[in-house]
Parts: sequence; C-alpha cells; structure tokens
Amino acid sequence: MIPLKYNVRNLRVRWKTTLMTVLGTGLVVWSSCILFGLVEGLEHSLKVSGDPLDLIILRKGSSSETTGGFITATADEILNLSGIARDASGQALAAKELLNIPIATRTDGSTTNIIIRGVQPASRGLRPDFKIVAGRDFELGKGECIVSRSLSRRFRGAEIGGLLYFGEKEQYRVVGLFTAGGSAAESEVWCDLKDLEHNTGRDGSVSCVQLRAASSPDYNRLQQTLNDDPRFKLAAIPESVYFESQSRSSLFLKAAGTMIAILLTLGAMFSAANTMFAAVSARTREIGTMRAIGFSQFDILISFMGESLILCLMGGALGLLATIPLNALTYETSNLSNFASVSVSFRFGPLVAGVAIAMTLAMGLFGGMFPALRAVRLDVISALREL
Amino acid sequence: MKYLHYILRNARRNPVRTTLTIASTAICLFLMLLLLAFFAVNDQVTSSVGVYNRVCTLNANGFAGRIPVTALEPVRALDGVVAVTPFSWLGAKYQEEVLPFAQFGVDADTVFTILDEFTIPSDQLAAFKESRDGCVIGRKLADERRLKLGDPMPLKRDLYPVDLNLKIVGIYDGPTNRDLRMCLFHWKYLDEELKRVATALLGKGSEDRLAGNVGMIYVKCNSSQAMAGLCARVDELFRNSEYPTRTQTEEAFGKMFAEMLGDLRGMIRAIGLAVVFSLLCVAGNAMAMAMRERTTEVAVLKAIGFRRGLILALVLTESVLVSGAGGVIGALGCKAFCDVVDLSRYSAGFLPFFYVPWPIALLGMAVALGIGLVSGLYPAVRAANSSVIDGLRKVI
Amino acid sequence: MQGIPSIQLRGVDKDYRRDEFTIPVLVGLDLTVPEGEFLALMGPSGSGKTTLLNLIAGLDRATSGEVLVHGQDLGLLSESEITRWRADNVGFIFQTYNLIPVLTAFENVELPLLLTKLSKRTRRQNVATALKIVGLEGREHHYPRQLSGGQEQRVAIARAIVTDPYLLVADEPTGDLDRGTATEILELLEQLNREFQKTIVMVTHDPLAAERASRILHLDKGRLVDDILQGARVSAASAS
Repeated sequence: MIPLKYNVRNLRVRWKTTLMTVLGTGLVVWSSCILFGLVEGLEHSLKVSGDPLDLIILRKGSSSETTGGFITATADEILNLSGIARDASGQALAAKELLNIPIATRTDGSTTNIIIRGVQPASRGLRPDFKIVAGRDFELGKGECIVSRSLSRRFRGAEIGGLLYFGEKEQYRVVGLFTAGGSAAESEVWCDLKDLEHNTGRDGSVSCVQLRAASSPDYNRLQQTLNDDPRFKLAAIPESVYFESQSRSSLFLKAAGTMIAILLTLGAMFSAANTMFAAVSARTREIGTMRAIGFSQFDILISFMGESLILCLMGGALGLLATIPLNALTYETSNLSNFASVSVSFRFGPLVAGVAIAMTLAMGLFGGMFPALRAVRLDVISALREL
Repeated sequence: MKYLHYILRNARRNPVRTTLTIASTAICLFLMLLLLAFFAVNDQVTSSVGVYNRVCTLNANGFAGRIPVTALEPVRALDGVVAVTPFSWLGAKYQEEVLPFAQFGVDADTVFTILDEFTIPSDQLAAFKESRDGCVIGRKLADERRLKLGDPMPLKRDLYPVDLNLKIVGIYDGPTNRDLRMCLFHWKYLDEELKRVATALLGKGSEDRLAGNVGMIYVKCNSSQAMAGLCARVDELFRNSEYPTRTQTEEAFGKMFAEMLGDLRGMIRAIGLAVVFSLLCVAGNAMAMAMRERTTEVAVLKAIGFRRGLILALVLTESVLVSGAGGVIGALGCKAFCDVVDLSRYSAGFLPFFYVPWPIALLGMAVALGIGLVSGLYPAVRAANSSVIDGLRKVI
Repeated sequence: MQGIPSIQLRGVDKDYRRDEFTIPVLVGLDLTVPEGEFLALMGPSGSGKTTLLNLIAGLDRATSGEVLVHGQDLGLLSESEITRWRADNVGFIFQTYNLIPVLTAFENVELPLLLTKLSKRTRRQNVATALKIVGLEGREHHYPRQLSGGQEQRVAIARAIVTDPYLLVADEPTGDLDRGTATEILELLEQLNREFQKTIVMVTHDPLAAERASRILHLDKGRLVDDILQGARVSAASAS
C-alpha cells in the first residue's frame, strides 16, 4: 500500500486548493449540522421526561394538552387514586394543569402565540431538573408567574419584574426564571392554576392531569383504571408516547433539514471531485512512476480514495468543530400542532454527529471515486511520457 | 466580443471540471431559491388578501380561547358588516393523515358571500345549503385526490372528540393564489355532533362544555375604509364579556401566522449565506485550478502583447460565465420544477400555492453572477500579475 | 537601411535574486545588431542566452545598462507600454510551440490580431497570408493536437509574423524537432529574414541551426566570448 504520508504531503503542498475545499465542505457540513442540531434539540425537548412512570391524562380522542380538557371534578378524583408516587416531603406527585395560549409580543415587535400553564405545586417535581435560576418561585393567588429562561429574553415584559399582558383580565407579574432540563416546559410561562382558571373564566375544567405512578404495577393499574373505568373514560398516555406524538412539529424541520443536507452534500461532492480530478491530472507522471515501480492499480485506487476521504474528513471535522460555539444557541418558532411558540436549544447529539459523518463519507467516497478510477485507468507508458 | 470565442473554448477545456462546478452551483442555488421562495410566497399570501375587505375575530387568548356562537348575531348587526360566518378549524385526520388539508365549519348561507373570490355552481351551492352533512371542497383538492361529487369525506377526530362523515356536494374554484384545498362543511353539523357527544359523555346539560364554540368569526365589510373602525367596534362589543375578542384584518391575521415562524427565518437566511460562501470556495477553487494549469498559456498571451487588464477580463468573464451557467440552471430549473410540481399540496393549507417568483429567480441568477465575479477575482489577479518569464520557463 | 543598428545593448547587467543570493546572469554586455540580421545566440546552459533574448524581446528588464530596440529605450517604457510595444514589434517562437490547445490553427494565428483594431475581414486575410507564407494552407481548422511538431511550429511562426513585427525572437525553435523538420523550419526562418527583412534573434544549442544565421554569438557565464560574422550570409542579406 502507498503510505498515507504521501497523500498528506500532497494535500499540504497544494495547501490553497486543500484549504478552499475544506472550507467549502466544512461550511456545508456546518449548515446541515445546525439544522439537525435544532431538530435534535426539538426532539430532545420532547423526549426528556421526568420518569418512565409518568402519565399524562387527557380527554379520550384528543391528541394534545391544548385541546384535551375535561372537568375538574374528574381530575380531583384522579388525584385521590392510590398508587401515585410521593416526593420526599410526602406530597403526591400528581397535578392538575390548565393551558392557555394567548398572544404575546416578541422583543422585535412581532407577535406569536405562547403557552401559559396553570400549575399546582407538584407540577415542578414532574419535570426533569426543574430549577428556579433567577428570582423566586411565584406565590399562589397573587397573579405572579415564572418564565422559562430562554423565553424571557425573547418576549416583551418577560424579564423579572416585567408584566406579561395578555388582556385586561390576564396579566401576570414575572417574579422568576426557570429551567427544566431542556424539556418542553422551557417553552412555557407558568402561573398558579387558580389564577389562570379565574382569569380565563375556565373554572371547572382542566387541560390535563400529570402524575407519576409509585411503581410499575401501580402504573399499569392506574393506566387501566383511567382508560376503562366508566368513572373516567379518559386517555392515560405515557409521557414518552405523548411527546412522541407531538414530534410532528419537528417533522417539518427534519424534512427541510434532510432536503437541505442532501442537496448540499451533492454540491460539496462535486467540489471534492473537482479537487481530486485536478490532483490526479497534476500527478499523472507520479502515478505512472508508481505503477512502473510496481504498485498495483488497486494501490492507486486506495491511495486516491484515501486522499479524498482525508480531504473531506478535514472539512467535516471543521464543520463539526464550528458548531461548538452554537451550544448556547436557541431559537424560537411555532409548534405545528397547537401554533404555540416553542423555544429550542441547539443540541449536539448522535443525529448531528451521524449527519456529519454520513455527509463526509458520501462526499469523500463518491467525490473521490471517479477521479481515483481515472488514475487507475491511466496507461503507464503514456503517463510517464506526460510532461 | 471577439474574445468570447476564446473564453468559451477555455470554459469547455476541462468539461468534467466545468460540469462539476456548474452542477455544484446549480444544486446549491436550487436549494437557496426554494428557501427564499418559501418566505416570499409566505409574505405574498399574507399581503394578497387585503383587497377582500375581511376581518377575523378570535378570542383575545388566541386559538385556545372560545368564541360562543351567540357572538355572531351582535357582530352581524354592526354597521358596515355585509355578512358573517363561523370559521371553525376542525383539524381532523383524513385517512390517518395528520394535517392533510384545512377543514372549516362554516355557515353555508353566507360563506360564499364572504369568500366571494371563490366560485361555485349555483346548484351545488343550493345542494350544500340544503344538506346537513354535506361539504364543499376546493378544486385542487378534488383533482389531487380524485374526489368527485357524491364521494364520502370521512374526517376522524383529533382536536374535537367527534368523527364527521361528510359527503361532497360541491366543488369550488377560485384565483390560484387562494387556498383551493379547503374542505368547508356546516358548523351546525359539527355543533350538533358535539352536543350529542357531550350529553353521552358528561350527561344532560353539559353540552356547553364542548359545543357552542365557533373558533373564529369571519366578517365581510362593505369597504376597506370600514375595516379598521369595525375591528375596534367588534372588540368593544365583547370587552367586558366572558369572552374578550381580538379582531384583526385578514391581512394582519395572516401576518401573525407568518410571524409564527419566528427565528426560523433568520436561521434559514444564515444557512443560505453559508451556502453562498461555500459556493465561493467551490467556484474559486475550480477557477484557480484551471488557471494554474494554464500558467504557460497566460505567459504566451502576455508575451505576444495581451495586457494585464485584458487577461483579468478574460479570466473574470470565464468565471462569471461558468457560475452564471450554474445560476441559470439552478434558478430557472427551480422555477420550472416548482411550476410542474406543486409543493403547496404538502403544506396542509398553510401555503395555498407555491412557486418561485421572478424577482427571486433573478436574485438567484444575480447571486450566481456575483459568485462568479468574486470567486474569479483571485485567480484573475494572479494570472494578470504572473511573471511572463517564469511562465515561459516552466515549459522548458 | 543597411547598417542602422536595430538592437543596441550598452553595458547591460542582469542579476537574479534567489532568496538572499544575487546571481549575476549577464555582465557588462555591449552588443549592436544591425537591421535585417539573423543572429544566433549559443552557449552552455546557464550562460544567459535566454535571458539576453528576453531582454531584447522586452519580456524582462536589465538590472543596469541600456537596451535599445529600433531606437526605443525599453527601460523607459512602463509595463503596459512595453506590452503594447511587444504586440506591435516582436514575434515570438518557442521551443514547445506554445499554441493554445483549445484554438484551431487559424484561431491561434489570429490571436495577436485580436489586439489590433483590424476588422474581422482584414484579420482573416492577414491570417490566410501568414499561413500561406509558412506553407500551411488547408490546415486552418486543425487543432494543435491534430498537427505534427513541424506543423505546430509553422503555426507558431505564422502567429509570430501575422502582425508584421519588426523583430522575431526564437528560443530553441528546433529543439523538439527531428533533423529533417528542423531544417525545414530553419529554411523558413531564413526565408523570412531574406525576403521580409525580419531581424531575427535565435537561441540555440544546435551548431547546425546556428550555421543558418548571419552571425553567431557565444556566451559563457554572462559574457560575450565569441562573435562570428558569417561573411557569405551577411552579403546574402545585404544583397537583397
């Protein structure tokens, strides 16, 4: 086999071409990684659940909390069921929650729908890593609210001390900021359930009940009771399943991202092929010499494919490295299932790495294949005669 | 012009490289145009509805809030109002497809007075008005799914806890920039079904929990001047009620939808920019490689009296031509592709149509030419400033 | 016009700088070439003969001293002026022909005419004339790769004379050709010198090629070491 050192030296000698190709492929990998990092962030927010024993209870046939309301009396019965887990202080981990989607104004003046969730104390324990990161938690019945940290930067009046104004009757004083392990709650404003019920005139109904079962048998029993018992006839959906059904909002991004990545990969592939074709024709004589010395056609093929791979790997690595500063990146857009605002943080995970690797390999292998085949097919005698 | 011949020959000298460069440029521009056109069409949809003099009333809490059916009558009575209809987004599944197309519960008597840009044969409209479970669908929807009059239109529960088994009694047509993929049915039918379900589920007297909500009120005004005042008067009507409203012109309502995209816009723009930079590298690299191979030739040209400026112009023109070819293929190709394949049918009614507007296509070509110019600059300057002696010596 | 100096070099030095080293290539060179002379430059590799040719052709500039061609001091011309001057006054012939591979014989010859204001018609006529002089009628539409070495060099010569320059410079014009073809090319150069009174400066390794010239200069280490005026040739030139 022809040592890789030979290819590396060649790449170094024509460093300008190498640099341009690496930059070109790097940018392409980078932009695809951004998209998939956002898809990954969105999916992550829908995947991280507090616990595998968590259930979300909705009206039967409804697919989303925002449309799945039922009456409070039924909800109260659920809270009294046995088999619900308790936290360290002995409080049951089950909460009635009510959602509203008012219109909020972004800091740039544009408007969007935003989720405000009326919660009970236990709601916090049902979210992964719920933390107040600034200010304090709201007090019950005082018209106060807390806002997820990523939302507070983007909406008018959402900073601590600000007033979120959704209408004459609906205004909330922001007293604190929270994070919740990157989960869907980070796209929400939280306030007291009673305040929200009162302000929106929706006393007597809840959007959903969230609870955590004490054990696996309890979980199964609770699910069965809630689904089939004539008292309830509700849909008790495992949290993970529920969020999976919500992931349709990421489908758009995923589809767009896939299309973009494929087209860009094709583009970059051609660019890599260009570079490699030039490399082959510039080294025609070298190739002839190597063949004359006794390297086989296969050796030549591997050598040029390897060089192409090295070239694209550098681009891929550059593109991946360039995503590091993006770990702090969040973006805000709308969920396609309830048209409410979602905040998504860029997340580097297996999807991003997979996309980067797949793109790099595709560019390196397909981009290098035809030039390498050309090198292989060179006639030794005439290659040696080449100037 | 007399040099064009030589430039073209040069561009074709290494057909593989030129083809790859053109293909690379074309593909990336194709992608960029799709993204740009998406935003352009989005804006166009929003701004094209201003002429119809319509306003939309929603609960002040947006889509999650309720608007009771009783709100219709006082609005209808307001000065300047031509007609009103409920416009309830059903959001049901069709053959297990989530978000297949937009479905709205409406008032059959007024809806085509309000959406007066749509046309429907009078017998079909009459049939729609008389039916209980009839529905009217758009022409594009009918064409694409091979639906015809009399076909069933089963809509499965998703947002609301009811299944609606509708029957197609009419097909409407209209301007191509409007949504011709809607399914319009009787709001009353939906409401009756909801009442039935509520009674069955929650017992008598609990109908109001599910039924009686119209979602949105669509109002036709008699003039464009009346719209702003009307919005204020509608909201004034319900200010102190249980259901405060937010009334906007149809245009503003659409804008809100467009704004929902939020940061996605900036993100897509950033990606577009990265693609342009990437293309600069690709095209620049190809041109630089081409010029490196022609070092001697450039030296000969200079020896026989080609001035620097001329060499510069020759190289730049070649670079612009190659990128421009990619631009023409990518931009026109994208436009032609979108003319043939109507991407809007995959948008669930968010985009009633999708095409690449000429300004966007031209912008794409301009970007391509710009890429050619900028990427050709370095190789061109290098060639123009190269030493004749060194270039000639290289041969021997 | 016999006897008027066509090319005059006075105390010409030429140094090349490679990194921190200065390499003298031509040292204190004085040379006078009368109009219509066919001059051969000979000498071992690195003797400075190509450099001298480049100075005369206006491709390179002397480090010190004066280079006058046809009364014009090349040192006084700016970069763009000297380019223009080359286009008008000098025809180039190279060892490797240096034709543009993507252009046909006709187009290659036409190339220098593109720089003039001549009409397309006139250009075509001039190209036809030049190709006729070098004996390549009927090959106009061949590409360089479809021609033999000798034919390629003829195209190159046609390209050199199509603008009717005052001076022809040739760097090893027969270096890549076999003996027979080389003779033909040399005869063509002789003919151009004799019939069209072109002043020719030719660098060559080949004594047989140098034989054709009216004067042979030998260079070694940047100095003129031998100057042979070939009587017969001089009289042949002056007779015409």
